[in-house]
Amino acid sequence: MSEPALRIRGLRKAFPKVVAVAGVDLEVARGEVFGLLGPNGAGKTTTLEMIEGLTVPDAGEIEVLGRTWAREGREIRSRIGVQLQSTSLFNRITVREALDLYGTYYPKARTTADLLDLVQLNDKADAYHVTLSGGQQQRLALALALVNDPELVFLDEPTTGLDPQARRSLWDVVRRMKAEGRTVLLTTHYMEEAEALCDRLAIMDHGQVIAAGTPASLIAQLAIPSVVELTFDGEAPDPAAFAVRLGEPVERRADLWEIPTRDPKATLPRLLETAEAAGVPYQQVHVRRATLEDVFLHQTGRSLRD
Amino acid sequence: MLMMIWRQFVMEWKLYLRDKGAMFWTFAFPVAMLLGFGIIFRGGGGPKLTVVYVQPAAQSTRDAALLKAMDEVQLKVLSLAPGEAAGRWGRGETAAEVLPDGDGYRIRLNSYLMAQGGPTAGLVNQAWLLAQARLNGSPEPGRIPLSVESPGGKKASNYAAFLLPGLLGLNLLSIGLFSVGMVNVSYREKGKFRRLAVTPLPKWVFLMGQVLQRLTISLAQAVVLLVVGWLAFGIRNQGSYLDLVVVMTLGTACFMSFGFALSGFAETSETYAAIANVFFFPLMLLSGVYFTLDSAPHWLQQSVAFLPLSPFLSTLRAVFNDGAGLAGHGLGLLVVAAWALGTFLIAVRRFRWN
Repeated sequence: MSEPALRIRGLRKAFPKVVAVAGVDLEVARGEVFGLLGPNGAGKTTTLEMIEGLTVPDAGEIEVLGRTWAREGREIRSRIGVQLQSTSLFNRITVREALDLYGTYYPKARTTADLLDLVQLNDKADAYHVTLSGGQQQRLALALALVNDPELVFLDEPTTGLDPQARRSLWDVVRRMKAEGRTVLLTTHYMEEAEALCDRLAIMDHGQVIAAGTPASLIAQLAIPSVVELTFDGEAPDPAAFAVRLGEPVERRADLWEIPTRDPKATLPRLLETAEAAGVPYQQVHVRRATLEDVFLHQTGRSLRD
Repeated sequence: MLMMIWRQFVMEWKLYLRDKGAMFWTFAFPVAMLLGFGIIFRGGGGPKLTVVYVQPAAQSTRDAALLKAMDEVQLKVLSLAPGEAAGRWGRGETAAEVLPDGDGYRIRLNSYLMAQGGPTAGLVNQAWLLAQARLNGSPEPGRIPLSVESPGGKKASNYAAFLLPGLLGLNLLSIGLFSVGMVNVSYREKGKFRRLAVTPLPKWVFLMGQVLQRLTISLAQAVVLLVVGWLAFGIRNQGSYLDLVVVMTLGTACFMSFGFALSGFAETSETYAAIANVFFFPLMLLSGVYFTLDSAPHWLQQSVAFLPLSPFLSTLRAVFNDGAGLAGHGLGLLVVAAWALGTFLIAVRRFRWN
């Protein structure tokens, strides 16, 4: 059990117009929930598809459960579970039929009743796939990814496009996977999802991993534990002159200014004094703890959802 | 492995039976075509030719003799007042009309409808010879006796008997291009193949299940058409059933490979539909599905003989309508087999899951 569930070295993939993945190294331990966090186009999905054997890498090594695609593809496929970014099934297949059918593709399969319980689709078991809501379709996709009782599960943006309630019920399923001892590799561009689910994560941008670690260690590495926010009525003004007067960096974000600080107790009075003197028309002051969003912003200079 | 193919096959059938639209196009539509066209053209040579007779100011004995003779030569005569006749002509509905002209008559033919107008003019003149002979009291011109037979001479059949093999061929073409080619492009486009690609299911098992299901659809469809043809029009297979199965199997293989091959050339369903129609319509119109091409230019007849549908249909008709053996149709079968093999090789080369 000491061998990692997943080991990747120097993974690269270029498409005709863009280098999607530019040298990624990753190691995911058994039983861990690992997140790939990054904005759209960061290379998360391409990375995942290379690991899943859907896309052939230009360079690099991939070991899934200690096996390689070139020699043991069939075995890897029977031991992993995959939820693609969008799972397209036949319109008029029922939930039960889909689970039964996919079960026949594997040497060992969990019972359909079991899977229906797990993702709470019992009352929709005989409904056609096309009639399910977005959240129900995602839960069916999750159940399909678990059909073969996999050791390693890949989830590509499992909650994108779902309402908050559907998202939370999917999180519960992911937590149950971890409790059952499975390894989970998921991608997301929601930082609160990464914080809620992942033991460790890697932040990706422009096809590279720019930071990796536990959520807490990533925030701690930032060494700026707090952020002061000045909010404005409407769009925030240009903070350049104010930043010079204050002697600290100020970020403008839509309708607010952000001033990262190590010591809010010392910064706050001086900040408010300077704002008063400069006649800054701010509305409210908030002090908050730094989040993964700030880590990402600090590393890349842009927001996760830009 | 056989079990997996079987399950895939059964699932494809279930999904197919739930798709009422597909059911309609594969079963109800061909039957409706056969019944509709078979009944409309029941006479064998089509409906009687119609000629418009423009009434003169006053009818003479000569006019009466011509009218009677036109009826005798099996023309349908529409006797109209000059105003009405002019209106009908102006709307382009008239193929041929007989007008009074000075001392005699004049035949006017619609340049757009020469296929009806030409033979109509011939019959009018034949009637005129008959009428003149009677008016002059000279002996009536004799006629050469005529019989109607199918080309193979096995049994005099009606148009439905000609149409039925045509529809069988057309169905194979449409299953190949649309149920196989179109469906695979849309599966690929929508990522259905990708979901399968991450399972250990061998791809060929999936495809085999699909191919077998399409084979049984085309078989079921053929049986339905044959039964309807027999019940409604008394059409029966005149040849050996073994030969019939051989020809149908070869045709199915050919058109399914054709669809598979084409699906390798389109990224999206829209592109595929455009490409498929480029093949579908010319093949349907030029291969003798609904009518023979004997009035088409020689070069065209020579060319279509090397496309897959035309030799398939002539072989099928020879077996089904005339009870011929396959021996005399080696070249046609060879052309179909060459298409089957060629498109199969292209399909294998071009097929992609992603």
